[in-house]
Amino acid sequence: MKIKGKSLKSLDMKNAFINSLYALVFSLLLGMVFISITGYSPLDTYRAIFVSSFSSTKNFALTLSQATPLMFTGIAFALAYRVKMINTGAEGQMYAGAITAALVGAYITNLPGIIHIPLALLVAAAAGGFTAGIVGYAKLKTGANEIIMTLMLNNVVIFITGYLANGPLKPEGSGVGQTERIQESAKLMKLIPQTQLTIALLIVIAVAIILQYMLDRTVFGYEMKVTGFNLRAAQVAGIKVSKASLITFTISGAVAGLGGAAMVLGVNYRFIEGFSSGYGFAGISIAALAAYSPLAVIPAAFLIGILRAGTITLSRTTAIPIEVVDVIQVLIIIFVAAPSMIRAITGNFKKLVTKFTSNNEKSGGIEQ
Amino acid sequence: MIDIDIDLIYSILSSTLRRSVPLLLAATGGTFSMRAGVMELGLEGMMLAGSFFSVFGAWWLGSPWLGLIVGIVFAVLFAMVHGVMHIQYHVIGSISGMAVNLLAGAITPLLLNIIYGLSGKSPMVNGLTDSNIEWFNNIPVIGKILAAQNILFFIGLLIVVVSWIFMFKTKYGLRMRMVGENPQAASAVGLNVKAYKYFGVIMSGCLAGIGGAYLSLGQMSMFVEDMTAGRGYIAVVINAFGRYNPIGALGGSIFFGFFDAIQTIFQSILPSQLVMATPYVVTILVIVFALKGGKAPAGTGKHAEH
Repeated sequence: MKIKGKSLKSLDMKNAFINSLYALVFSLLLGMVFISITGYSPLDTYRAIFVSSFSSTKNFALTLSQATPLMFTGIAFALAYRVKMINTGAEGQMYAGAITAALVGAYITNLPGIIHIPLALLVAAAAGGFTAGIVGYAKLKTGANEIIMTLMLNNVVIFITGYLANGPLKPEGSGVGQTERIQESAKLMKLIPQTQLTIALLIVIAVAIILQYMLDRTVFGYEMKVTGFNLRAAQVAGIKVSKASLITFTISGAVAGLGGAAMVLGVNYRFIEGFSSGYGFAGISIAALAAYSPLAVIPAAFLIGILRAGTITLSRTTAIPIEVVDVIQVLIIIFVAAPSMIRAITGNFKKLVTKFTSNNEKSGGIEQ
Repeated sequence: MIDIDIDLIYSILSSTLRRSVPLLLAATGGTFSMRAGVMELGLEGMMLAGSFFSVFGAWWLGSPWLGLIVGIVFAVLFAMVHGVMHIQYHVIGSISGMAVNLLAGAITPLLLNIIYGLSGKSPMVNGLTDSNIEWFNNIPVIGKILAAQNILFFIGLLIVVVSWIFMFKTKYGLRMRMVGENPQAASAVGLNVKAYKYFGVIMSGCLAGIGGAYLSLGQMSMFVEDMTAGRGYIAVVINAFGRYNPIGALGGSIFFGFFDAIQTIFQSILPSQLVMATPYVVTILVIVFALKGGKAPAGTGKHAEH
């Protein structure tokens, strides 16, 4: 039984991997259309993007540090999707985590780093978890649509934190909306000096491993799976569906909150209004690419990080718009969401190829 | 303190109606989609496509009316991305809808950059003007408010009435609702389920597109990045609030339009960010407290085949 189960699982994973691979390839191909509209050679552009990401330690660190917040939001989306809930609120949960981490980082003094950093992370996770948890609770109690709820809450959180950063929490003499700089003791250690790459990367990898373990090896992970697979079956099996969904959704928000803390404690050293450049939504496409497995989010986010960091570098010297990456990310979501669409496309393509080759053979035959 | 005077009341009422127009159009579009059993979460993206491409059309063809048509065509194209994903390839409706929203959110800034070399907003174009029909001033009390409305307001009202008649008084409307309630049964009695679903999706794209064009061509004569600002999602809530009925959508839109309109009064006494958060707070409160007992058509998200 066990062996059979395992092989089925690996077959599933293989299919998911192939599906994601196709989605990535199709999205990059369609992305080429947009790049060629801008007048640049798509192949050269892609080559430049990938080369620039690996050209120096500094650029490689840039790629990884660009990918780090995406790993947090990617895991957040992937986890919630396991119980068939859609967490489009990672953006707001991130802001909630960021502002609380900034407060703990700036206003609690005289703590050693070994306590200060975990404290700030913990508070940020709680804030993100709370932001998601109230939506999960509302869904549980009233059947509210979590997509609209989280999106509306995103706006509310972004406006409120914007108000705080422009009003009561604004340091004197600051021209932009931001909070006080955090203490030295709250800053995350750098992995490579003079880059933005910090231990946030190790933290997110640890989070991914723990959550993957939870999914695959614990009773709660099993309950999550059954809940996500078939709500009615789970209820019959005596699993408290609502409890499993609520806890999962809260953890999902906590991970996004940690992502916000990572930006504050590791990159900006304060809360800055509008600091997230669409991390929440990039997370959706990364989770899709990773087939909603927390551990697979890490390499998927790295791939998208290459695209984003490479395009940022390129856009400094060329007129290639950064928005191309956003479009590619959405295309990935579309293709991953519709595996049957991919099968239809590849099926038609195969038909076309066989038709073409058989035609060739025919015409070849006539010539001979 | 706020001075309560008659001019202020007039300005709030007139502003309420102005702000309800895009919501009304999108929500009525969503009614078609929902009544045909297709989740309408993609309204935001269709609106955004409508607002961008109508400005693009007006800039390209030189006429706001032709611009409006271009906007509608592209909004329907975006709606079809969702329609094909959901109806043809059975992707969950909220995911295909979300995909359309994200797609519009990513493509419009990209095209803004590619076509105009600008980021944030487009150049000014000739917009759709206010109606300025002198005749309205002859009506006591509300004449002044009506005269201040854009021509799309009156078109919107007409659309609501026609939509209501279509849905509840014609046999095609009845059939569409049957598809929305029970696609298998509808298929069994020989209805073309997919055609009705596509019709619902196309109508939602069409009306959401006009709603988006109202924001850009009707109010600002230009496109601003992410100018729909969640109105498509609010339209989804309005629709549930109005029990998936165009008349209900009208009432819900005026309700939300009011909360959008009173922002301008509080802007002077409260920090702007907090004031700007109010429509979203109201939306959340409505979702949590006012949607109980309202059920979406029973066949939403179901397909006729297997």
